[in-house]
Amino acid sequence: MLAKRIQPMAFHARRLYVGLMFQVMGRALQAVSEVDEQVQNEARVLPDGFLFEMMVMPDGSKLIVEHTGQGRFRYHGDSAPRPVDLSIQFKHIAHAFLVLSFQEKTSVAFASDRMLVDGDISYAVRMTRILNRLESFILPKLIAQRAVKEYPADLHLPEKLISAARIYLKVATNFVETARP
Amino acid sequence: MTNKYYEFFCPVKVIAGKAALEHIPYELSGVGARRPMIVTDKGVRAAGLLEPVIAACEESGLEIVTIYDDVPPDSSTTVVRDIAGIYRQEKCDSIIAIGGGSAIDTGKAVNILVSEGGEDIAKYSGAGVIKHPLKPFFVVPTTAGTGSEVTSVAVITDEAKGVKLPFTSSFLLPNAAIIDPRMTLTLPPHITAATAMDALTHATEAFTCMAKNPLSDAYATAAIKKISQSLLKVMDNPKDVDGRLELAQASTMAGIAFSNSMVGLVHALGHATGAICHLPHGLCMSLYLPYVLDYNLETIREPLGELLLYLEGPEVYAATPASRRAETTISAIRKLRDALHKRCQLPRTLKETGKVTEVQMDQIAEMALDDGSIMFNPKEVTLEDARAVLRRAWA
Repeated sequence: MLAKRIQPMAFHARRLYVGLMFQVMGRALQAVSEVDEQVQNEARVLPDGFLFEMMVMPDGSKLIVEHTGQGRFRYHGDSAPRPVDLSIQFKHIAHAFLVLSFQEKTSVAFASDRMLVDGDISYAVRMTRILNRLESFILPKLIAQRAVKEYPADLHLPEKLISAARIYLKVATNFVETARP
Repeated sequence: MTNKYYEFFCPVKVIAGKAALEHIPYELSGVGARRPMIVTDKGVRAAGLLEPVIAACEESGLEIVTIYDDVPPDSSTTVVRDIAGIYRQEKCDSIIAIGGGSAIDTGKAVNILVSEGGEDIAKYSGAGVIKHPLKPFFVVPTTAGTGSEVTSVAVITDEAKGVKLPFTSSFLLPNAAIIDPRMTLTLPPHITAATAMDALTHATEAFTCMAKNPLSDAYATAAIKKISQSLLKVMDNPKDVDGRLELAQASTMAGIAFSNSMVGLVHALGHATGAICHLPHGLCMSLYLPYVLDYNLETIREPLGELLLYLEGPEVYAATPASRRAETTISAIRKLRDALHKRCQLPRTLKETGKVTEVQMDQIAEMALDDGSIMFNPKEVTLEDARAVLRRAWA
């Protein structure tokens, strides 16, 4: 009985968590593209104006970022100014939750058909590398190891801490700026 | 409870064995098809491989309405549009694709166009665009390697844009795949070797990459066993009908395995090498397989060690300490490649191909890094890792 009453609350909390994580990741993608040269080099190959979306099917939470050129991303929240070029879609919010709560690696979720790619697969591979790089920066090593296929051996603590601090600062600033009326 | 989850799908009816081609008329009538079109290439026709199919249909009072035999090795959107035009003009109601990967992919693409309508196949490119079942479609493979008869993917070149368009949908799968040993009996030795190594790579990567699952594993191991037991026999005696059938079945089984488990770095490097150096796909698979297994070794030690049983048999497996089985599996694959090189000069290194320059290795590495298959490789691959594998594969 209690479980039945708690379940809707748990589902609601899960939806909120996934939505919040998408907001953090979208802003963090913009931030890491301003901070990390490796991410900029990866992103530079994407066409200018390229729109990337990550979403929960059928019409759940989403994040949209645009490649504005020179390897930089701009976070667009959950609405795209035009049809997106690449969409990575979780089949269900439960699957998004597994990945975004670091219980399942992104690569494993993709391999297990929990998510779909709609768009150019080579760009999807590139975006996955960027997401992995981002997660390696902003998550503690123990958690990042659960999120990425392989934690980069050349990412040492000082570089990680400095980059993570800069990314979080930019994310926080962006939150404050976009929250203003 | 673990988070382990997988999906497995293969609705293709497999019709395999002696006189399998003679089942085609029955299968066509079973789906109400009376006006089939054959899609094939000139090589298949010149090898006389259409005759038994046509004879089988005529004997059952079924007329092949038209034959398109000009599918190029890299099929294009223009070819697909032209074939669809002939299909409509001749009022056909079904397609029989006879050939290797290109003819089969073309058949799949033509089926999209004639079922969904329109002239431009490009607008159906991508995953999940097709939402309805297509026209009756049958596949008769004439090589034993690609596994295209059981995969839900087709790749067609858009000549105008200079890009390869992927089409992915379970509706692309044929109603039936007809595996008849007569169709591979005349394959020349180097193609027999390369295509069988393609199938071996499909099975090995399916068994060791990230999307492996129990059902794919069963198909993959059975395919490896058939290839290891039959390939050299067929190389020594090309008219060995039973051996040919074993290889053809292995190819289909490996196709079922990898279409559900996907493939990894061998394919990523192979796709890039094929695009840049124009080397046949099977050759690239054979070439890269041991080097990539070496690279992935510590991530796949356990499943790779298991494959020794299917490659070398129970005696060798039992006599090999568990800790050495993975390395012995790689040695067994190298030994098989040496045997093939001895019989038909199938290259084992990039240098032996005579078609790759050292300068191209950087291009190959960069392109491989953006290949979709790399997502399923069990070990992360950086640009430097890919370069290192290529350097080892050089000579």
